[in-house]
Amino acid sequence: MNRFSLTLSTAIARVTEAARAPYQSAVIRIGFATTWLLFLLREFPHRAELYGPDGPWSWDLAQQLLGMNHAFTVLMWSDSRMWFETVYALAVAAAALLALGWRTRTASVLFMVGVLSLQNRSVFMGDGGDNVLHLMSVYLVFTRCGQVWSLDARRARRRDAARARGELAVDRVGPALWAASGVVLVAATALGRFDGQEWLVPSLLWAAWAAQAAWWLAGRFRRSPQPRILLDVITNMLHNGALLVIMAEACLIYATAGWYKIQGSRWQDGTAVYYPLHLDYFSPWPALGDLLAASGIMVMLVTYGTVAAQVAFPFTLFNRRVKNVLLAMMMVEHAAIAVVLGLPFFSLAMIAADAVFLPTPFLRRLGSLAARAAGRVSGRPGTARVPGPRAPQPAEQPQVGSPM
Amino acid sequence: MDAYGGHGTQDGGAEVPRPDPAPRPGPGGAAPADAAPVTEEAPTAPAEAPPSPPRTGVAALSPRYQIGAAVALAVVAVAVCVHIGMVFLHVAPSNTVTKAHGEAIDEWIYPEFEQNWKLFAPNPLQQNIAVEVRAEVRTADGETRTTGWYDLSAEDGRAIDGNPLPSHTQQNELRRAFDFFTNTHNADGRPVGVRGTLSETYLRRIVLLRLDRDGAAGPGGDVRRIQVRSRSTAVPPPSWSRERVSLKPVYRTMPWWDVPAAGNTTQARAAAAGGAR
Repeated sequence: MNRFSLTLSTAIARVTEAARAPYQSAVIRIGFATTWLLFLLREFPHRAELYGPDGPWSWDLAQQLLGMNHAFTVLMWSDSRMWFETVYALAVAAAALLALGWRTRTASVLFMVGVLSLQNRSVFMGDGGDNVLHLMSVYLVFTRCGQVWSLDARRARRRDAARARGELAVDRVGPALWAASGVVLVAATALGRFDGQEWLVPSLLWAAWAAQAAWWLAGRFRRSPQPRILLDVITNMLHNGALLVIMAEACLIYATAGWYKIQGSRWQDGTAVYYPLHLDYFSPWPALGDLLAASGIMVMLVTYGTVAAQVAFPFTLFNRRVKNVLLAMMMVEHAAIAVVLGLPFFSLAMIAADAVFLPTPFLRRLGSLAARAAGRVSGRPGTARVPGPRAPQPAEQPQVGSPM
Repeated sequence: MDAYGGHGTQDGGAEVPRPDPAPRPGPGGAAPADAAPVTEEAPTAPAEAPPSPPRTGVAALSPRYQIGAAVALAVVAVAVCVHIGMVFLHVAPSNTVTKAHGEAIDEWIYPEFEQNWKLFAPNPLQQNIAVEVRAEVRTADGETRTTGWYDLSAEDGRAIDGNPLPSHTQQNELRRAFDFFTNTHNADGRPVGVRGTLSETYLRRIVLLRLDRDGAAGPGGDVRRIQVRSRSTAVPPPSWSRERVSLKPVYRTMPWWDVPAAGNTTQARAAAAGGAR
């Protein structure tokens, strides 16, 4: 019993004192935001056909479907082309800012709004990759994903340095952003733009906005540091909880994909992989497909290997070494799928989801390599322009990804 | 959690990260309180650092605030568990629990957490389903003629061939629209429910857009009616297999659909609500 309570208190300390896994949360932030950014840029010439008011899935059709499913989208606020272009541009900007970690919390909220708005507007345009981004964009809002590898982290370092020199750093951008989002939220609510939508996303927007105000107020509260610590503790809990959900989601993706395959006759007879390679919609390089499918043994190995890896993946998390091997396999397989089945954005999204399981030492090495490479490119060796990984202590300090 | 093992070893004792508990004069919600300025003891060898009491986490809170933290922890823990459980039940096959509480699960999951990961499962699709269309057009000089069949899926296929970054307009748009259409129509091709009607309008608009791009009506011409059919062809079994599969295409032909007056795509929007049957 004593041991149990000790374990429990250790666990509580772990989930409340720090936002865990700063590198993992940063790498998935960069991964998902970059995937969506590249997707939006790639589809830029097709944007009107996919999500525009006059696309095949017209504004009226979307209106009728949304009247039934109540999903969140700001694209239905107006059927003008101008509004659509604005939202698309904002979605691109939010994805870029989130990838860079600029005002990470606000960027993550805007990123979610962008992803949900476009995808819910035209649900029949998406595929599995869109589905992953859809879910993760919501989960990311709850994380402190800008603790490392972000402009926020760099800003925090510079502010600390300035403070150490006795200078007073005044932040004007933060309050301005907060005020602007407040105006939009109030206007949207007052004009009834959230009516008819499910309560979840609008209340999440309001909650995020209110939380930033609370965080700021608690910081100014001079009588006691307690409110600020409490908010910090809650923010850590939310971060750690969301990270757990993200990991569980990745496991559920693999488990579902794997366990349902086991029941299929083609996965049992070892020919399943042959078929997608010969579907017109998933064979950008038919010769490559033929080459891979030339050997029956080869196809069977890949078929069985895929199922085994997907079913096994969640269980391998209990063993670090096996997990890492399988993780590398999954990433390689997704990279192959990107090319062979012509699903680059799906694969990128899945690789980003896998990255949440990457070991910290590996990520830190990756970070310093990237920083060194960036330093070389900028011709200033040693002064990396990309915010590199930081020492563990500052990395875990709860400031950067906190509300806003 | 062992993914973070390397990290976990570093946050014991004196190195526990701590927020500066002192209230910050710093303005802006965007400038959250930062770290205690790096003190001398922090970067030095942890062994020498005296084990200072943690200044963050619940331990740093007074009993009154600890109650608040406990409540928050309970709420977050329950929400996380319920959410993971609901997503699990949503992706799991129909079972005792989902049969009894399907409505509550759907209530939680839809619309934003819907997901489907039966990727190429239980079996991968083993046939190519091509969507073809022909049109009855009124030419510029008033004649009415019927075009040949346009294989729109083959057009998609050509656009995807050799393309490292296929667009959703090539890979998903028509394919998923036709999927949506067949899923919301019964065997005689009649729409089922509102979604059936929506899917028909959607398919018609895609087809018109494509016919327009292909210049099916010719200069000055107008598409009056369209007819869609699907051609399903089995993927030939692999060369090493002894399986025999009929490779004869199976056609499914829809009735002719009238195109609302001046049925080009930009104006077809007005017709979205009105059925064309």
